[in-house]
Amino acid sequence: MAEFNRRDFLKAGAVATTATAAACSYDYVVPQEKVLPYVVNPENVQPGLANYYASLCNGCATACGLVARNKDGRVVGVEGNPDHPSGPGLCTRGHFDLVATYSPDRVAGPTDRTATLSWDDAQKRVADAITAAIAAGKSVAWLGRYRSGSVAALLDVAAARGMRRVNWELLGVDGLLAAAQSAYGVNELPVYELEGAKTIVSFGHDFLHTAFGSMAMAKGWAKAKDPSHDGFVTRLVAVEPRLGQSSSQADHWFAAKPGTESFAALAIARLCADANGYSGPAAALLAAVDVAAYATSCGIDESKLKQIAEWLAAGSSVVLPGGPTTDGGGGLDVATLLCNEVLGNIGKSVQFGRGSRPGHISAFAEVKALLDDAAAGKVGVLLLDGLDIVHLAPADLDVAAALAKCDLVVQLANEPDDSSGANTLLLPTGSGLEQWSDASTEAALHVLGQPAMVPIKDSRGLGDVLLSVVKALPAPPAVIETATVALSPPTPDLDGMAGSAASFADFLKARWLTLVKPADADAAGWWREVQAKGVVATKPTVTSPAWIGALPSDAPASAPDGGDYALVLFASHLADGRWANVPWAQELPDPISTYFWTTWAEISPATAQRLGLAEKDLVKITTGQGSIEVGWFGSPAVAEGTVAVVVGNGKKTGKYAKGRGANPLKLLSGTLTLSASSATLTRVVGDSGVHALVGNMNQDGRNVAVNVNVEDAIKNLVGAAGSIVPIHHLPTDPRVEAAGPVDMYPEPQHPTYRFAMTIDANACNGCGACQIACAVENNTPFVGPDQLRKGRTMSWIRMDRFFEGKGENPDIRYLPVMCQHCAHAPCEGVCPVLATYHNLDGLNAMIYNRCVGTRYCANNCPYTARRFNYHSWEWPESYHLMLNPDLSTREMGVMEKCTFCVQRIRSAKDLHRDVAFAEREVGKPVNMRQNEVPDAELRKLTACAAACPTDAIVFGNWNDDKSTVVKKGTTPRAYTLFGELNTKSAVHYVARVNHNQPANVAHHGGGHGEDHGGAKPDADKGTHGADAHGAAHEEG
Amino acid sequence: MSDKLTYSQVNRDVMRPLFNATSLWWGFMAIVILGLAYGGVCWGIQLVWGLGVAGYHPPVFWGVYITTFVFWVGIGHAGTLISAILFLTRSRWRTGIYRAAEAMTIFAVMTAALFPAIHVGRAWQAYWLFPYPNQRQLWQNFKSPLMWDVFAISTYFTVSTVFFLIGLVPDIAAVRDNTRGMTRKLYAAMALGWRGTDKQWHHYMAAYGFFAALATPLVLSVHSVVSWDFAMANTPGWHSTIFPPYFVAGAIYSGCAMVITLMLPLTKLFKLEAYIHIWHFEHLAKLCMFTGGILTYAYGTEYFVAWYSDNPYEWGVFVDRVVGKYWWVFWIMFMCNCVLPLVWWFKKVRTSFMGLFVVSLIINVGMWFERFNIIASSLAHSFDPAAWVYYTPTYIEIGILIFSFAWFFLWFLLFVKIMPSVAIAEIKETLRPPLKSDGEVAAK
Repeated sequence: MAEFNRRDFLKAGAVATTATAAACSYDYVVPQEKVLPYVVNPENVQPGLANYYASLCNGCATACGLVARNKDGRVVGVEGNPDHPSGPGLCTRGHFDLVATYSPDRVAGPTDRTATLSWDDAQKRVADAITAAIAAGKSVAWLGRYRSGSVAALLDVAAARGMRRVNWELLGVDGLLAAAQSAYGVNELPVYELEGAKTIVSFGHDFLHTAFGSMAMAKGWAKAKDPSHDGFVTRLVAVEPRLGQSSSQADHWFAAKPGTESFAALAIARLCADANGYSGPAAALLAAVDVAAYATSCGIDESKLKQIAEWLAAGSSVVLPGGPTTDGGGGLDVATLLCNEVLGNIGKSVQFGRGSRPGHISAFAEVKALLDDAAAGKVGVLLLDGLDIVHLAPADLDVAAALAKCDLVVQLANEPDDSSGANTLLLPTGSGLEQWSDASTEAALHVLGQPAMVPIKDSRGLGDVLLSVVKALPAPPAVIETATVALSPPTPDLDGMAGSAASFADFLKARWLTLVKPADADAAGWWREVQAKGVVATKPTVTSPAWIGALPSDAPASAPDGGDYALVLFASHLADGRWANVPWAQELPDPISTYFWTTWAEISPATAQRLGLAEKDLVKITTGQGSIEVGWFGSPAVAEGTVAVVVGNGKKTGKYAKGRGANPLKLLSGTLTLSASSATLTRVVGDSGVHALVGNMNQDGRNVAVNVNVEDAIKNLVGAAGSIVPIHHLPTDPRVEAAGPVDMYPEPQHPTYRFAMTIDANACNGCGACQIACAVENNTPFVGPDQLRKGRTMSWIRMDRFFEGKGENPDIRYLPVMCQHCAHAPCEGVCPVLATYHNLDGLNAMIYNRCVGTRYCANNCPYTARRFNYHSWEWPESYHLMLNPDLSTREMGVMEKCTFCVQRIRSAKDLHRDVAFAEREVGKPVNMRQNEVPDAELRKLTACAAACPTDAIVFGNWNDDKSTVVKKGTTPRAYTLFGELNTKSAVHYVARVNHNQPANVAHHGGGHGEDHGGAKPDADKGTHGADAHGAAHEEG
Repeated sequence: MSDKLTYSQVNRDVMRPLFNATSLWWGFMAIVILGLAYGGVCWGIQLVWGLGVAGYHPPVFWGVYITTFVFWVGIGHAGTLISAILFLTRSRWRTGIYRAAEAMTIFAVMTAALFPAIHVGRAWQAYWLFPYPNQRQLWQNFKSPLMWDVFAISTYFTVSTVFFLIGLVPDIAAVRDNTRGMTRKLYAAMALGWRGTDKQWHHYMAAYGFFAALATPLVLSVHSVVSWDFAMANTPGWHSTIFPPYFVAGAIYSGCAMVITLMLPLTKLFKLEAYIHIWHFEHLAKLCMFTGGILTYAYGTEYFVAWYSDNPYEWGVFVDRVVGKYWWVFWIMFMCNCVLPLVWWFKKVRTSFMGLFVVSLIINVGMWFERFNIIASSLAHSFDPAAWVYYTPTYIEIGILIFSFAWFFLWFLLFVKIMPSVAIAEIKETLRPPLKSDGEVAAK
């Protein structure tokens, strides 16, 4: 130690200090990354600014237009194209398709499942296989989803060149098409215009959700339900064994014996004909309908059928066809068309002549025939387009074996699924956001699907692959049969076009220029315009074909095969299972059961009691084909004696799909009719793992989702009459009432904006588009089934679902609840570190960096709108590319919640401020305050409002009296949630209108509703206390 | 006190447990260290993986941690009550028990103080709850009851620690006088130069009185402030003006029960029966009976107000507590706090070792469940029925609950080995002062 001098001390000190500093500087919470700027900017890319491309939604055959938002090279958001007839708004599937684009399971390039191939090799392999197959006398076959537009045209060309082609979907329209063919001799689907229908009777059609054309129908339904639109409120009558998302909106529910709905429909047709004296071509048929006997057959009381007929005959109406839970093909769809015929709806609310059809449509029999041939070794090359046929086929069809018998199975998909076998060549055709596509589901409606970003994996478009297949096929016979193309003449030489096209994009453009472009338009200019708008829609022609059909047979459409319970299958967010590998889709709770991530059975509570089911038990569903064990939901929306099972899960492949639930399709046989079997149920003791995200079945008498009476709603469209919302206040001492508004703290000042939202519960059908749109916009992660079972959803919007009715009056209510951005926010006062506060725009702002995670704010939120980051959530490889760069992800341990899409508000405000600055630069006198964002831009600014298919969510500035949000939010039906807490929330709800709701006699007039319904609270403008009616009764 | 006791005998008796650790002590210590290790691992898991490892089920965002926090703050009430308020009211029966009760208070508050850090989402940022000057211009929200908590608890901790250490000075000096070498130096430092002169006693007693007066309002304020964590929130089941007195009564109730739980075995093991008699415990039991009565009355009032208010949210929670998902919590609480302790109305029970010990344990259990009942069942049944849930703790939370007990007993075990657990000086005050003639008598 003697040698330890000053220099040694300094050396040692320096080493120690450096070591300590190095040790402390390691920050494991926030990984350090380097950011490198562009040296040369890519063309059209300005960092921080988004590019928007009109494109096409590939989520389902409906093929809506969308606008893809490309930020810094990646599509990070999609919205409905307002130029499309079914826009604006985009349903869940459009968003799922965006998420699927970034799936971690996407293959890197063409693969034969042992190695990745180059595209040239892969396509050569396909061409060689086709040549070999033709040489061997085997067929080349195409089995895929519905495709319209240029892909359908190429399929026509390929079919003409000898390719066998089957387009089929599980939740398809083949039954309805067959009905239209037999009833009216048309080769197209009826288009249902719900907007003007005073009565809608649905026989199970999932018209708001999975049905073809649901976006337009959802919009029409919402308008028909709006009392301020044409002064009536549509009455929805559901005749089906299980109420789904669409029919949950029904005012009346009559459950026919499963499979006998066609009797009900025929009886209704006869009763309507009797009522309105129908004498058309189908009159003779109706004479054979014995109402009393049919009423007995279907199990609906004759008086009830008469009541339905009375409603129908009383005014404009629509009778919707069957759906998954009712056997549409078994005569029901013909019967529903007959109802419409009798009611005179053909050509009015039920339209033919528009050429509505998603391309070529095959029945399941064709699928079965193809697979039988494959099993017999007659198919050389089978091209599978987007159909997981092994998953979808019924139990008695051994698809895997049939596929194995083919020489080559070419799977056109981005990721392997259950149908991928040893002889599968997987060609990744990319996402609709990466490749050219188009669609034409009606003769006068063409949607262009432009690529909106560079493919993230080595993929080629479906059209390009198909084009190479066409070129590999032998030259066609002289005449091409194009009758199946939805397009009307002039018939171009499609085969020649395909032969000369270098790429699918060329073919598509040539086809559009030939078929879609008006003769007098300049090609280049017109194409530029089409690319900008994405949609060419002209006025559709509507015809009124004459009835030529016969009466459907007397036999019940489905014969129970010995089970005790009628088995019906239905689809939820996963549709036919195509979204099973999208974790956000798995996580979106089913609107009825609020279950997720699995398969479940819905049975009536009485059935559950009879089976002695405990909450966690499983129920074993057995048919002649086998059995599955799933969790159960005791639903008041399922008829006694029926078991409804959700399809979509039970897959064996996929990072997120694998091992989730069971596949109920394997309970079926034969024609794969989703409603034609019966099953026995047995209790299995165990832990099913199902969990309802909505805690209580009903709202326990509280005023969360409120109904008002139809007459009240129609009579009180505007504010003068006061509130008509039957909310029962907490009793207040008269002295407190007399004192007027008393607030401990002054109202926050909102000098320019008070951002607010109005949610029309009457238009909301619980579809969940707002939830998934919010997740995509705001980088909210999925949490996985284990976390979700603890209710730890990160979705900023909760969809409340309440069963308020019973039996024939189901009264199922939905209410999307997000942060209400209260002026007197209970969360703000209790945060010890000021991580949440009220800003000048009226937003309840949240500073993630400041939050320490006491979670007091969440406890104190009456709306349970806050979400806590319990863990560091997973953003697995390639989902991270989907992250919206406009906002951060949140780290473990902090609170988050709806921000009213503050990043969108900021950019809108910035834009208008920049305009003002620019004007000031050039010497114009500018009042910066006047450069407020106009209502037109604010109205659909938030992701949820932009996505809502029915325009139920409107955003805006509450300080602006002329804004839509104020107009809608101050009608007599408006109320705020738990208004008696005086939180002065910024989200205003508009009560639902229901035909079963008794008239509101208790609450009328006086000073009572005035404060809400009449003048909007002045306090919001910062003139607190100026108006005696100010804010005290804000909730109205 | 017995006339047979002499000052030196008191010194010997009270200091006997000090310094020489028995195998029993080591056994307890081993259990405590195991508990600390298990709980520490649980906490480590939670720090790495996040609070998700606890059973939180939104909207139940608070659970076992806050329950245990309030439990320990409540325990921390009896010590100061006994030492300060009973000192000011000159209740002589405090003499034997106040030292250990005070130590218990401090350790309980130290235990409670762990929980804000355990419970927050980002424990590494928990220091942001303290207002301190910083260059980021960050400041705290003084409207938040959690901020009030920070001040209430840190003030209470500071004052009761100072009060405790001041009370120790003459006793430490006594220990100092009986030790040698290094140990003596340490005690000498803690004794602050105490020589026991008249002048020192004069100043000392004045200071002690002042501190007692200073500590007294804190007994009432701390738990009132803690209760505001709930009462200031608008959650049904929490939002109630009755909470401060109700919580203070509950705190004293649980605190006194904890004193009985701790002191009974201590008296037996350290053979202090000569100083701590069963009637000391009977007095504590009576205090418990009184505060327990207040508590039962408060429960009744809560229900009455919930019903009388005709507030569906409030009444919904209260009905749900009794017959809903958390019925078992309510009934454990009600039986343990309101019904079973009634056996103390029998003098035989409250003067018997087992009667006192078992019932005090029951009260401790009941009071923990009371807090759980308030916190979990209210949050699980709040305004929107769509959000109603059922929350159950996980092994992590139970592990950290065990950790809190281990942590508390760690300090308590160290305390009984280092400090005199009975106030030597005050015991001596109650004895007949030694006279010169005593020595002569003894010599004869």
